[in-house]
Amino acid sequence: MNEQPLRQSEGQEPILRTVDLRKGYTRGRGWRGKRQHVQSLQGIDLQVRAGQSLALIGASGSGKSTLARCLAGLERPDSGELWIAGRNCGYSSHSREFTQVHLIFQDCGLSTNPRFTASEIVSEPLLISHWGTRAERTDRAINLMKTVGLPADAAGRRAGEFSGGQRRRLAVARALALEPRVLILDEALAGLDLSTQGQMANLLLEIQQARALTYLWISHDLSLVLRLASEIAVMDEGRIVESASVREWFAGPRSPQGQDLLQASRAWRSGAER
Amino acid sequence: MRYIAQRFAHAILVLLGVSVLTFLLLELAPGDYFAGMRLNPQISAQTVTRLRDAYGLNRSLPVTYLRWVGSVLRGDLGYSFAYNAPVWPLLKSRAGNTLILSLIALLASWFAAIPLGVWSAARRGGWLDGATSAGTTLLLALPDVLIALGLLAFALHTGWFPTGGMASIAAQEMGAAARVRDFVLHLALPATALAAGVLPILVRHVRSAMLDVLDSPHLRAARGHGIPRTRLLFRHALPAAANPLISLFGLSLGTLLSGSLLIEVVMSWPGLGPLLLQAILERDVYVVVAAVLLSALFLVAGNFIADVLLYVADPRIRVE
Amino acid sequence: MPQGSAEFGAFCPTLRPFPGAARYQMKGKLKFGLLGLVLIHLVVLGARVFAPYDPAEQHRDSPFAPPMRLHWVDARGHTHLRPFVYALVYHPESSAAVPYKEDRNRRLPVRFFVEKAIAGVEAQGAKHLRLFGVDPPGEIFLLGTDDFGRDQLSRLLYGGQVSLFAGLFAAALSLGLGVLLGSASGFYGSWLDAIIMRGAEIFMALPWIYLLFAVRAFLPLHVGARESFFLLVGVIGLTGWARPSRLVRGVVLSAKHREYVLAARSFGASNFYLLRRHILSETYGVVLTQAALLIPQYILAEVTFSFLGLGVSEPAPSWGNMLAALQKLSVLESYWWMFAAGLVLVPVFLFYHLVADALQQGA
Repeated sequence: MNEQPLRQSEGQEPILRTVDLRKGYTRGRGWRGKRQHVQSLQGIDLQVRAGQSLALIGASGSGKSTLARCLAGLERPDSGELWIAGRNCGYSSHSREFTQVHLIFQDCGLSTNPRFTASEIVSEPLLISHWGTRAERTDRAINLMKTVGLPADAAGRRAGEFSGGQRRRLAVARALALEPRVLILDEALAGLDLSTQGQMANLLLEIQQARALTYLWISHDLSLVLRLASEIAVMDEGRIVESASVREWFAGPRSPQGQDLLQASRAWRSGAER
Repeated sequence: MRYIAQRFAHAILVLLGVSVLTFLLLELAPGDYFAGMRLNPQISAQTVTRLRDAYGLNRSLPVTYLRWVGSVLRGDLGYSFAYNAPVWPLLKSRAGNTLILSLIALLASWFAAIPLGVWSAARRGGWLDGATSAGTTLLLALPDVLIALGLLAFALHTGWFPTGGMASIAAQEMGAAARVRDFVLHLALPATALAAGVLPILVRHVRSAMLDVLDSPHLRAARGHGIPRTRLLFRHALPAAANPLISLFGLSLGTLLSGSLLIEVVMSWPGLGPLLLQAILERDVYVVVAAVLLSALFLVAGNFIADVLLYVADPRIRVE
Repeated sequence: MPQGSAEFGAFCPTLRPFPGAARYQMKGKLKFGLLGLVLIHLVVLGARVFAPYDPAEQHRDSPFAPPMRLHWVDARGHTHLRPFVYALVYHPESSAAVPYKEDRNRRLPVRFFVEKAIAGVEAQGAKHLRLFGVDPPGEIFLLGTDDFGRDQLSRLLYGGQVSLFAGLFAAALSLGLGVLLGSASGFYGSWLDAIIMRGAEIFMALPWIYLLFAVRAFLPLHVGARESFFLLVGVIGLTGWARPSRLVRGVVLSAKHREYVLAARSFGASNFYLLRRHILSETYGVVLTQAALLIPQYILAEVTFSFLGLGVSEPAPSWGNMLAALQKLSVLESYWWMFAAGLVLVPVFLFYHLVADALQQGA
């Protein structure tokens, strides 16, 4: 097993750092059913530098999404440390630090309340953190919508009226509202048609450039990862088994899990091309 | 079998909960019966104290509760002050009468509802479906008080049916056949009033469950095989639609028990209803509590029977 | 409609609509039902104006007078633009079931917007406007009178205030309680959920009306009209929370795990914010449908209670205690107009069912 930490730049505190993060779930019902303990994260040591673009890959069930949720403060790890921008977030899931990390969900269609208007959705984080007046929030929401390439006159429309791609843009705009430093993109580009996917990818890269963001991509799609990320970490059964730069990794993964993933992707692609 | 055991345990737990609830009502009621007794100059203070001791009213709440549950389990449901007699014998025959009325109404409404629901589902959009729709809507809007009073007025005007009670005064001297006829005549109106209340709901659910099944692929396949219509409806579709209907069975029993209370009072059926009403008016608390407990027992038993039926009808539960 | 039917009518929320009840008709049904309900409530609320008499005003000389007929053509064949009634003459010695006869010589034209003194000593001759009436000493009983000679129409209107609003308030109470307990149960889960849901199960294990009676049995019997009204509303409302709370819990449970709720949580939203902005709005559909099912049920509960003498006490009218007169077989046999308080429930229930149907289909 390869426990080598990610390349660390000298003198700079990583923006995300975890030490031996563990998280398990109890499955089973009530006093009659059999209880089952599932260990999702079995000691994650991860470091992400500011401005980095890291891809987290692994088979389903390897704990990627759980890690993402823990990093975003949506779930509380059972043990271990989580440092965001040099501060220990401990076990409190309502720590202010978590506003610096935002998770964009797998399906943005579900992550926007269909009853809300676009500006309500985008300004929601502002409302929650009691930022400004209503007018100021709406203004800012419209600005954010422009940033992600949505027309300003769409502000009054309900989320239900937007297309899938547009709703993802809304989710991105909302994620930017509190000016986070890290975006976790959990399959953020999955389920879109190719041209929309390309547009979204370009948009996200532009935003990363403009705002000096750190991205954590969680994806199955290795070809996207190749284009978007600079570093790669492979997860398996709740552990990080390998981390490397993208180029090195594609040249030859060292861990057997990584080799499997790459092989599967190549086999699939060559099958598709045939 | 594990499923049935689970459901049985659940039923017992619910009954225990109900007993706690009624017990709390009994305890928290402002002023117990004995407080009223104290004011009665004919009863000495010692007697009151002795009675309070006997009923365990001087002890802490949990102890009183356990003693009370113990005595209930022994069949001692307390003492009716109004009748000056133990509650259980008083209640026994009344409960039986309520049960007879409710069960007859239950059977009648289901026997009417199943063919009506099945046929209106089979001929969706036909005249029968339309008529069923209109009929159930109207029946649903008729309050059961009105149905009962209307039937009673009908009986008064035509003189075809007796206007109350369970048997004629002369029933003792009648032959067996005449006595049965007399009973049926007495039963007819209250049972009709009761059944008329739940009928529309049952018909709608039968129809709805049948439509769900009739639209399903396996029924379409069966139709494709050329199975005759009636056989298809009653042998193939109805059993497949049985699941939600069996659950409904337990619920309909609850509604019937509730409904019978009022109808018994209006039509002077000697069931729990008039007894309970009188007990409330006379503050005969133990009768009230016993009647409520009994009704809960009926309902819980009904739901348990529905669970067992479901177990028998649906193999999927047995596997789980 | 029997007692306890709302619980079991709402058992299957996706009841198939009947033909002619297609989805596109939903809006129409909803509008029609709501319009009917609003009209009925307005008329009842305006009882002070619409009722020709005060509800407790007795006309001892005309007990059980039959409804008067409105005429336009008099005995001599003259047609009048203004409708009129004939005075009723009481023949107490007559053997007929209804010992009244129209006096064809005493024509009482109906006057509109009349000022009429308020009955009772305390009123001290105060007057207010009524929609219609006849010139005193004539009397007009469009729906007949009861055993004290009180005008049935007036009692029906004032009684509606009691019965309709008892149902409305009780439903508001039990839905409020249901939303509170159901959302707490669904949202916070664990032991709170277990306690609340076991409690609901116990409440639902009792046939509903027995539960009502049990609670009623331990409350004071003889209270004033106002107190008895609130007592009833309280009893009905507080015993009916179980089913709505279970339904609300289900909705909250599914809403809680929506991704937009998680997203809001990741921005640091408090539980209160999540409930208020995201989760409770999901329950509107269920709550409205339950309201349309529960209100008629609770109106009926009030009627039943008052009918049995456990509810709103005389002389205040309610549809239930008006019907109570029919418990005497002699009244039931002869005075058909005493059914009015029961018959008026039919359109009310029809409208509520229309609304409930439409809401269920829309859900």
